[in-house]
Amino acid sequence: MVLLKIAFRNIFRQRRRTLFTALSMFGGFILAAFFIGWADGTYNGIIDMFTRNRLGHIQIHEKDYLDRPSLYKTINDMSVINRTLEEVSGVESWTPRLYTAGLASLDDKTAGVQILGIDPVRENKTTSFNKKIIEGRAFSSASAAEVILGKGLAEILKAGVEDEIVVISQAADGSIANDIYRLIGITESGDEMTDRTAFYLPLEEAQKFLVLEGRVHEVAVTINNLNDVERIHRIIEEKLDNPRLSVEPWQEFARSFYMAMKADKEGMWIMLVVIIIIVAVGVLNTVLMSVLERQREYGVLRAVGTKPSQVIRIVLLEITFLALFCIVAGAIAGLLINTYFASHGLSLSNPITYGGIEIRAMRSEINTRSFFIPALIVLLSAGFVSLFPALKAARTDPARSMRFH
Amino acid sequence: MEEMNVRKIKDYIVYTEGLEKTYKDNGLEVKAVRGIDLRLKSGEFTAVVGPSGSGKTTLLNIISGLDTATRGEVWLKGRLLSKMKKRELADFRRDNIGFIFQAYNLIPVLRVEENVEYIMLLQGVNKLERHKRVLEILDEVGLQGMGNRLPPKLSGGQQQRVAIARAMVSRPALILADEPTANLDSKTGGALLDMMKELNRKTGMTFLFSTHDNIVVERARRVITLQDGKILKDEVKER
Ligand SMILES: Nc1ncnc2c1ncn2[C@@H]1O[C@H](COP(=O)(O)OP(=O)(O)O)[C@@H](O)[C@H]1O
Ligand SMILES: [Mg+2]
Repeated sequence: MVLLKIAFRNIFRQRRRTLFTALSMFGGFILAAFFIGWADGTYNGIIDMFTRNRLGHIQIHEKDYLDRPSLYKTINDMSVINRTLEEVSGVESWTPRLYTAGLASLDDKTAGVQILGIDPVRENKTTSFNKKIIEGRAFSSASAAEVILGKGLAEILKAGVEDEIVVISQAADGSIANDIYRLIGITESGDEMTDRTAFYLPLEEAQKFLVLEGRVHEVAVTINNLNDVERIHRIIEEKLDNPRLSVEPWQEFARSFYMAMKADKEGMWIMLVVIIIIVAVGVLNTVLMSVLERQREYGVLRAVGTKPSQVIRIVLLEITFLALFCIVAGAIAGLLINTYFASHGLSLSNPITYGGIEIRAMRSEINTRSFFIPALIVLLSAGFVSLFPALKAARTDPARSMRFH
Repeated sequence: MEEMNVRKIKDYIVYTEGLEKTYKDNGLEVKAVRGIDLRLKSGEFTAVVGPSGSGKTTLLNIISGLDTATRGEVWLKGRLLSKMKKRELADFRRDNIGFIFQAYNLIPVLRVEENVEYIMLLQGVNKLERHKRVLEILDEVGLQGMGNRLPPKLSGGQQQRVAIARAMVSRPALILADEPTANLDSKTGGALLDMMKELNRKTGMTFLFSTHDNIVVERARRVITLQDGKILKDEVKER
């Protein structure tokens, strides 16, 4: 108790020095809180935009479909999936899709295409499909004999709205599937690669075309909060409880994108190391100075029976008090800063494009780790660098420290 | 013979035999203490005098166990210090010796009563008892009503009174005071010494001073003169 008192009151002795120490801890905390909130916010923003555009946050497939896609690896009972996803809280929307390759032609132009059967209503709800139509209109129904082409593909075929496109593929029963569809719209997803091959059909029409009635290859799911993806993906998996299905979070089905994001995020840790150094240098200097200055006091304390461990406690408690104060103050300031940048964001004068997605503004994110990690950084780095001066104080030789010359 | 020796040692509160201390300073050997046999009986009020550098502080530090002798032994209350473990020695010192230094005696952030109470806190004395004893001793050293002050706000003489109170409050057998009047004017120093002498008379605690101040010498009952680390004279005053 009395050690606590000494430690606490020591804080107020060298006000300027204390202020300097406090500022380095406070500044370190705010920097770290801002960087983490900012990094998490912008990265999650990019990931969210990227995945929401087409992929979704979670996908469901037949077990082996992702490794080796095939027309025959289908999800056969959508009603169970619909019911399950309905029940899971945090799920925002989902949409079923059918995929296969085909050959499309118009007049003398022919191109290899990826046929995508999509549910017009659900696709629009999940990935804002209709917003990406730059010419023409959306599907009139799930069974209409209509096609929407990616922009690049339309250019290759020199196709315009109202043209009639012939498409050939292989149906699930082994027969040749071929049909003529009226081009009603052209879409631009932001991803040129996709747009050069995308041949969208309404889901039911596509199922009929490929003789896969009632079946789909993929269900893309979006959730409300990207940070919940691991948890919700597990819940869906458990609830479906079907070994023939696989449920994957975006980290798995968009692996290369995930690795790229992860590599970018490593930069944040380098920043944190810099902050640790700021705190460590600021603290070490001042703690060492006060210990040297108070050597006689530690000598008196030792002479009258204070144990070395108790002297260590006095030094460490003082810096801990100060660190806790700085953490509380820093948390308040950090919250204000992060709240501001979460709601206002920072609009970019030169929008950046990532994977075909244009990003116009970056926003911070407010999460627990943007406070937890800085608190840990401040506490541990301050405590760690104070250990050396504390040991020095504990080893004070009373006889020497009080000698007069 | 051996047994007789032990009996003899037990009769003294401080008993040293052949104390020597050699400091090594940049390869240069400094013999601070060269063969001191010092014996103090309980209740003494004794001053070690001698010019600066004669070894007074070194001697006191060795007696208290704050420093170790190069040769020779110290017994306090019949116990051989060199046989004690570090921790044991620290506790023994805390419980049996009160220190008064020339200056910088007090913890500046602790109030007067907290400074006085400190050792009792380490000893685990209960609150009621602590409070009672702090009030008593502050009264005795003439600091009644000053318990709430912080040391830097006090005069040098008042600070030394607090130091005396702290040294005496847990009733140690021995008080070691290294030049306690060096930073005080003669009037203040004299008053302080009179007060300590009175406390010595009342409590029977043993006082050992180091000093080259006449104020102390005049009041000491026994004066041991050091020169170059050796005892030159050892006089007990009449009366
Ligand atoms: N730690 C030390 N290292 C080297 N020499 C020392 C040390 N402490 C004391 N001395 C020397 O020992 C001698 C006695 O010193 P000291 O005991 O302080 O004398 P006094 O207290 O009588 O002035 C002096 O010559 C002093 O310089
Ligand atoms: Mg001295």
